[in-house]
Amino acid sequence: MRGRRAISGWLVVLVALHACVLFAGFFAPYDPTEQDRGRPYLPPMRLHFLDNRGHFHARPFAYALKLAEGSFDQYEEDTRRALPLKFMVRGANYRLLGLLPSRLHLFGAENERIYLLGSDAYGRDQLSRFLYGGRVSLFAGLLGAGVTVLLGLCVGAAAGYYGGWRDDLLMRLAELFLALPWLYLLFALRAFLPLAVGPLEAFFLIVAVLGAVGWARPARLVRGVVLSAKERDFVRAARGFGATDGYLLRRHILPATSSVLLTQAAILVPQFILAEMTLSFLGLGVPEPVPSWGNLLSSLQQYSVLVSYWWMYLPALIMLPFFLGYLGLGSELQERAEPYKIER
Amino acid sequence: MKQEPAESALVKTNQTGSSESSPFSKGAEDVNFGSLPIRFALFTPPSCFNMPCMASILEVRDLRVTYRSRGGPAFRALDGVSFSLESGEVLGVLGESGSGKSTLATSLLGLFCANALTVSGTVLFEGQDLLQAKPGELQKIRGNRISLIFQEPSVALHPTMRAGRQIRHVLAAHGTKGRRGFDQRTREVLEQLFFAEEAERIRRSHPHQLSGGQRQRVLIAQAIACGPSVIIADEPTASLDPTTQMEILGVFRALRKSLSLTMMFITHNPALLAGFADRILVLYAGRVIELGPAQGVLASPKHPYTRSLFQSIPPLASAPRQAGKKKLPAISGDSFSSSVPREGCPFEPRCPERMDICKSREPGLVNLSETHTVSCFRYEGQ
Repeated sequence: MRGRRAISGWLVVLVALHACVLFAGFFAPYDPTEQDRGRPYLPPMRLHFLDNRGHFHARPFAYALKLAEGSFDQYEEDTRRALPLKFMVRGANYRLLGLLPSRLHLFGAENERIYLLGSDAYGRDQLSRFLYGGRVSLFAGLLGAGVTVLLGLCVGAAAGYYGGWRDDLLMRLAELFLALPWLYLLFALRAFLPLAVGPLEAFFLIVAVLGAVGWARPARLVRGVVLSAKERDFVRAARGFGATDGYLLRRHILPATSSVLLTQAAILVPQFILAEMTLSFLGLGVPEPVPSWGNLLSSLQQYSVLVSYWWMYLPALIMLPFFLGYLGLGSELQERAEPYKIER
Repeated sequence: MKQEPAESALVKTNQTGSSESSPFSKGAEDVNFGSLPIRFALFTPPSCFNMPCMASILEVRDLRVTYRSRGGPAFRALDGVSFSLESGEVLGVLGESGSGKSTLATSLLGLFCANALTVSGTVLFEGQDLLQAKPGELQKIRGNRISLIFQEPSVALHPTMRAGRQIRHVLAAHGTKGRRGFDQRTREVLEQLFFAEEAERIRRSHPHQLSGGQRQRVLIAQAIACGPSVIIADEPTASLDPTTQMEILGVFRALRKSLSLTMMFITHNPALLAGFADRILVLYAGRVIELGPAQGVLASPKHPYTRSLFQSIPPLASAPRQAGKKKLPAISGDSFSSSVPREGCPFEPRCPERMDICKSREPGLVNLSETHTVSCFRYEGQ
């Protein structure tokens, strides 16, 4: 039966993807800020097993790229210089999980840099930037979703459980927040933040505020669940046996909201990642040279890049599995919460 | 899933009865008890009732509760209910659906529905007005001094918590004995209600693994865990089959004896009260229309409503047939119309013995004897 497995397939996919981002230092071949000014907008190198004479090589290799005759930005493969892919190589210094200093990388090439996803305007490796950028973006997504869901839980539970004027007040407030144009709110917020705040800190502050603004929707959902849960017979019976409000909330009512909350969180994470991208695209996000997914895509603002270098779109394509993973997980959680409603 | 045979529980009640000075050994009473249609007069009232000078433990005065209703005047669920619960007695509360039985049960502990509009009156318990009590004070009384057993044992237990844990949490809400002490007490309480070997299994079962009767016993265990002095049972047997009903009733009788409980037993089935209740209070449209000793009310009901209610109980199949098939008398009309506020006696539209005066004003309570009161004009001036 669907949705009844012990471990969700989507969860496995997500954990694997997040591990890649978390251990970016190991999986990325280069430092994300290391520039190679001589090679801007290098197209992705293709991995080969057969060389140009048709010989098979067990170790995959790429050909080095050289500028095409009479061109200033068109590259072609230099078949005389093969760059065999080496695994577990020593390269740029990094700290694993920000703690363990290491130089070990999953792969790399000797003598020359290898660009599997191409390079950007400064000759920085797109793959490395994507993996490192995921840290910022995914963390922003999780942080924003976490703040939103937590606030929504508190407000929704308070409104639903205590009812009366508190309910009215909180729900009118929620409607106000739903009506807020959040983008302009962000502009105002960014302008309001003092310059003394570091750019990265400012960014996370913005995400946290973004999360704080978004509590209204989950709060309304939680309120509904709490309203129905508190009128359940066993909750009333427990109250009749002298259960305190705290006990009822903890044991009877909040557990009932868990499925709604998890589903909400799973749906919100990609939304906040997208919000980060929007911010960075507008120049309000993470400052260069720190990589983030929004920064990776912001080069597409230039028309020349948009039409000339197709590989600059690649990060967007690679983000898809992350988003799909979260949305899939969200719908699966929803299905689990109501196993009798959806029959296939 | 293993299902306990119903007999074992039945045996248990009988055993409890015989071992503990046998609350059921009053001869024919028990045997006839299960057969619902009754000659009420056959039953002797429990000896308890004859005990002189009982102090009232819970006193309800002029309790009024109204509910907000959509697009209509406020619904008067309880309309000036006054009575007192004497220490050690079983007060049977009889009424049809919508007569305010459950509202009465929950109001006594200050558990009002979200749509309760107004509440007035006093509920005196040990000199304290529960309707004026602070939430914290009420919380300390609920389940500790006064326990409320809800109807429908199938939904009154937390579905994902083991039975033993639910009992322990009641203890934890009112005591400071620590986990081990609570566990010990939980076992004790369960062993009062189940066989010792069964008790352990019940303790570790989830509600869905228990039968209806077992769940009801777990609820009773929750109710008596803290040793309350009053138990309010709101139709505790309504959703059980007749055999299990009798078992549960047996449990109540045994507990009443061994724990000297005061009980308010709410039901719509007069048969359950025969031989069990000391006094009976009949509710109609949120008003007390008759209150008196169980024997008196059951044997010779005075209010026309009570009378027609008892007449509409089908006779025993084994009773001698009276001249062919007879239509079972029913009370015409429905009780809903009586909830609309109007002048006069609430039962007047359905009353077979209505008089002119019934339309114009509401009857007061008339004392027929020292203990028996009825609210009907027929008895005024007698």
